[in-house]
Amino acid sequence: MPITPMEVYKLLPKTNCKKCGEQTCMAFAFKVINREKQIEECTPLFQEEKYTRQKEKLLELLEPLKEATETGLIVDEEKCTGCANCIVVCPVHASEDPYGSGSGFGPKMEDPIYRLEDGVLRIINVKKCRRYGKNRILCVACRENCPSDAISFLEG
Amino acid sequence: MHVCAGCSCLCDDIEVEIRDGSVSKVYNACRRGAGIFLNTGSSRAEPKIDGDNADFEKAVKGAQEIIQSSDSLVIYGLDTVTLEAQELAIKLAEKKEAYIDDNSTFCLGDFVEMILRKDIPSTTLEEVKNNAYVIFYWGTDPYHSLSRHLSRYTYYPRGGKRQRGYEEDRFLVVLDVRKTHTAKLAKKNARFLKVDSDEEVMRGFIDALEGRSPKVFQKDIPRILKEMEKGGFNVIFGGLGLKYGLKGDYSILKEMIRKMNERSEVYFIPAGCHPNMRGFNELLFEKTGYVNKYSFKDQTSSDEFAFHRLLEDGKVDAALIIGSDPLNSLPLQYARKLADINTVVVDPRETFTGKIAKVVLPSSIAGIEGGGTMIGADGTRIRLKPVFEREINDEYVLKRLLEVI
Repeated sequence: MPITPMEVYKLLPKTNCKKCGEQTCMAFAFKVINREKQIEECTPLFQEEKYTRQKEKLLELLEPLKEATETGLIVDEEKCTGCANCIVVCPVHASEDPYGSGSGFGPKMEDPIYRLEDGVLRIINVKKCRRYGKNRILCVACRENCPSDAISFLEG
Repeated sequence: MHVCAGCSCLCDDIEVEIRDGSVSKVYNACRRGAGIFLNTGSSRAEPKIDGDNADFEKAVKGAQEIIQSSDSLVIYGLDTVTLEAQELAIKLAEKKEAYIDDNSTFCLGDFVEMILRKDIPSTTLEEVKNNAYVIFYWGTDPYHSLSRHLSRYTYYPRGGKRQRGYEEDRFLVVLDVRKTHTAKLAKKNARFLKVDSDEEVMRGFIDALEGRSPKVFQKDIPRILKEMEKGGFNVIFGGLGLKYGLKGDYSILKEMIRKMNERSEVYFIPAGCHPNMRGFNELLFEKTGYVNKYSFKDQTSSDEFAFHRLLEDGKVDAALIIGSDPLNSLPLQYARKLADINTVVVDPRETFTGKIAKVVLPSSIAGIEGGGTMIGADGTRIRLKPVFEREINDEYVLKRLLEVI
């Protein structure tokens, strides 16, 4: 399930103390989800006792962050049937591997983003994804064409 | 590169890694295909006589005796074996004047027959990939039955005249009784029509083509027809839902396709699951002029000669089941009768039918251990490229059975 910045913000101290280096707690919440900041950088949350319950809830909420790749991509292999729609629709695959995955075949390029292994989708090289890095594009082509919702992104 | 003989797509871009004599990793295959490759070694059939393990030669002898002494034999299955093996099975049926039938009787045999008789135009998946604009999926959910169908052959890949991808260069139409997984993909530049009666929708298309307002989907049908004219090359994939929805009367389907073809090219391809069902249909059609449920004794095909009817009427005293598991796939009331007659099962894996059979003969898994040719649902011949070689395959077993006749 995607995590929204608002959900994170609600569990932060909301004091805008700026100890994390951000101007507001909301800005900090955004950066936590984008993995530009770690939740541990919110020192009051970890030091002050009155936030203990909030902290526990927040850590539980952010648990999926650990499973997700750098682009926020999560693949649920249980749900995947290996239809390969995601591999063929991927714009990066289409431009870099037009005669392989762009034409419906298995990827012929060196390290594709996705590949079918043992019948389910595996993430091979997330660095090629358009969602990777600073100047990212929030592309959702693969998720849009997965009928069983095996692909999801943290941000939704 | 190997060929996956898991369904009628016959994907030919499968790569495997082998460790210690078995497949350890499969690339590019869907979940179903990968399962077949990865579980090559599990639940394999052993030669058996009356349920007890036996020597292969003894089992062959037992099967030969059953076939030799039978007056009324039926050969059934054959949809998962190669053309070469099917040819031998047809030869055996001819020599024994036996009945022969396959799953196409209740699967998509009727559609294949219409295509072979040239009642409706058909094309290949390669042509679809390169040219098709409007793609219909009628009464089928390929996301589950033919997983890579959309991504490898039809809607998603770029090819030939269709280089701009599915969003601009394809128009998807899904017709089904419920919102299937495939129907979920019909978003932009696509339509999902929830069908109550196939006949009603077809009548709607015919009405719209003749200039009348359709009684159902008044907005969608004219839009789809407009898109079809724009595209110039369109294809309908018909599944079991379409077959059973029409209840055996295909005149309206033929009329609709004929009328559509007056405006733009429309082709029909069956979307069936069995890897080599069309192969069997084509072989039998070439030889006899019928695609299934054929009796070599009566030299004709009839509903009475369908496998389940033969069992129900008690017309047969022996059954040779090749690469199929009727006890699993047919209603029990028919399949249980296999226990009363002399049943011989030829299958690479243990099956329920094998448990009640008089004789079980192991064979090899087509595409993994046995080479040969198969015909996909679109009529393309594909040569299998086996990973391993195994001496005992369907062809070998059938040759041995033919020896005594």
